Amino acid sequence: MSESPETPFEPVESKENDTFSTETPVTGKSKMTAAWSSDEGESEGVAAVASLPQGQVFEQNYQPWNGTLNPRWMRNWAILRHHVLGIFRKGHRPWGIPTRLFIFFVILASCTDIALALLASLVGSTELYDMFGVNRNNLYGHVLGFWPRNILYFPVVAALLVGGMISEDRAHGTSALYFSRPISRFDYASMKFLSIAIILFLIIDGTLALYYFSEVLVMGRGWSWIIDTFPMFLGAFLCGILLSFTYTSIGLALSSISRGRFFPAIGLIAILMGTKTMAAIINGLFDKSTLYVISPYDSVAHVCQAIMGIDSSYGELSWTWSLASVIIINGIALYLLATRVSTLEVTRE
Amino acid sequence: MVEDLVISSTGLTKSYGPHVALDALDIEIKSGATGLLGPNGAGKSTFIKTILGLIQITSGDGHVLGLDIRTQGDQIRQRSGYMPEYDALNPNMEAIHQVRYSGELLGMNPTVALNRAHQALEYVGLGEQRYRQVSTFSTGMKQATKLACALIHDPELIIADEPSNGLDAHARNFMLNTLQTTVDSGQRSVLMASHLMEDVERVCSDIVLLHKGKLAAQGRIEDLKAIDKEIEVHVWGHASNMEEELKGSGMDVRREGRVMRIKHRGDESYSDILLAASKAGSQVRRMHDHEASLEDLFLVIMERLGHEVKSSDDLLKGVL
Repeated sequence: MSESPETPFEPVESKENDTFSTETPVTGKSKMTAAWSSDEGESEGVAAVASLPQGQVFEQNYQPWNGTLNPRWMRNWAILRHHVLGIFRKGHRPWGIPTRLFIFFVILASCTDIALALLASLVGSTELYDMFGVNRNNLYGHVLGFWPRNILYFPVVAALLVGGMISEDRAHGTSALYFSRPISRFDYASMKFLSIAIILFLIIDGTLALYYFSEVLVMGRGWSWIIDTFPMFLGAFLCGILLSFTYTSIGLALSSISRGRFFPAIGLIAILMGTKTMAAIINGLFDKSTLYVISPYDSVAHVCQAIMGIDSSYGELSWTWSLASVIIINGIALYLLATRVSTLEVTRE
Repeated sequence: MVEDLVISSTGLTKSYGPHVALDALDIEIKSGATGLLGPNGAGKSTFIKTILGLIQITSGDGHVLGLDIRTQGDQIRQRSGYMPEYDALNPNMEAIHQVRYSGELLGMNPTVALNRAHQALEYVGLGEQRYRQVSTFSTGMKQATKLACALIHDPELIIADEPSNGLDAHARNFMLNTLQTTVDSGQRSVLMASHLMEDVERVCSDIVLLHKGKLAAQGRIEDLKAIDKEIEVHVWGHASNMEEELKGSGMDVRREGRVMRIKHRGDESYSDILLAASKAGSQVRRMHDHEASLEDLFLVIMERLGHEVKSSDDLLKGVL
């Protein structure tokens, strides 16, 4: 089976002697042949091609490898890299075109406050600048406040990202590819978690940083302004991390209990929007803001309002209840994720 | 030779509550190709998970490549390559990147993994198709890609779970040849779990036979086949008389028309047969040893054990 001829392809015979050897007389015909690369043989329509001996497909040689395998951090880095780079490059996790396009759109849309702040600075209007420039409310708003970013952009990006993250490993059996390698369940789940959280973080906090530093550059802000506003920026930055973490943990938990990408995606959006809508209806009808604690978005938003030091929009509800809610929601989601990942099989599903 | 053992276990037991999946297995698998056989529910998958260090055993000991399956699972998985039975490939990835990623998951540098992925895919016959998406592959190509994933780091032990599952004749032939080449020229060990006895017989020199979580038989296929060795005799005339003569002399005979199969008892069997033929007045037209196939052997062991497992020593002693 491994025995085979030394050269699987036979060489093509040279035709030089048939045409232009040193002995070839220089005639009108040979000049024509040299000029047009054509002779009478062309009409025969037969070309000499490399031929393959029948039954010989290729030569199968086992090639040993004596390299060194890197330790655990390199394996974890490979998982992280595979998922994050897949957004930008081929050859890594194949994210769908709609996901990539939507992320691109959300990044652009998240930069609208940058454009408006720049416009305000160009026009020189104080009122416009107060509306769009960097301040406590706008920094909070960039992460959690502005509609439709808070409802449509970030939750939908999170839903698109988490959709098939674990469920597709279950559906395609690719979990075997991980667990038959020296990858632990913890490494698997934590790297998948980090990958999603990093992409969300880059979108939310990346554009936040762009918003803040573009103001510094364009408006020529000095150190005193930076020292005044930087804690607010850090507060908003922390809010971005909290939001990314919460959406990722809920989304991955849903992905881990599913075998497709639709249910986790729609489930995440349903949880985020459904709980928010229900709490808003109850608040509107009965003037009770307590139900906001069941809404992951509102709980994070309430905590972030406290972090940023802006007026609470949740009435009598204490932000500590919302903090407890955020912790409990994330705890339940992570517990579910850990439990389900531990059931992923290697030999069969 | 102890150093020759790639897998060994002593009293290896795995229970899930009251259900005993692996029952006190004493297994020794030497380097080379070994078939892991057993009907559904025999414990093959549990055994594979156990030796990969993926599940904790209830009691007993086990070593793979000299590493403890209880505590050194990571190292075992780093030094072995597992080819799963079922689909384990992302259909939307190109084969080259799928194989490269499987190498990176082992800790290979991305550049090295890519280079090695080319070699592995070339080796399994997918050199020309390596930039195609896995979703466009046939079953045989997917199996070959899984094998490439298992071989990328040149492991000392390859665990192939039903490698020829769902393949057509050509692809199956190629897969088996590839595994055989890996053992013969690559000097690697292969543990091949399969339901297809013919495939196991073609690639493997040894087998481990599990039944209901217990070890039914293990050893060289040739030795195990010798348990049921028979002599096939084609006779002309007085066949029933000859059958009686043979039975009268205490031989175990099965007859169908003019063809008889007589259980081999030793070198004297041939002269006893000729003597019986002479007494019965039968002509012996043909007489030769009949060697059971692995499938025959499997069926005989399963049937005769009556689900009561005995050691392979018992089998070899002909206690059956």
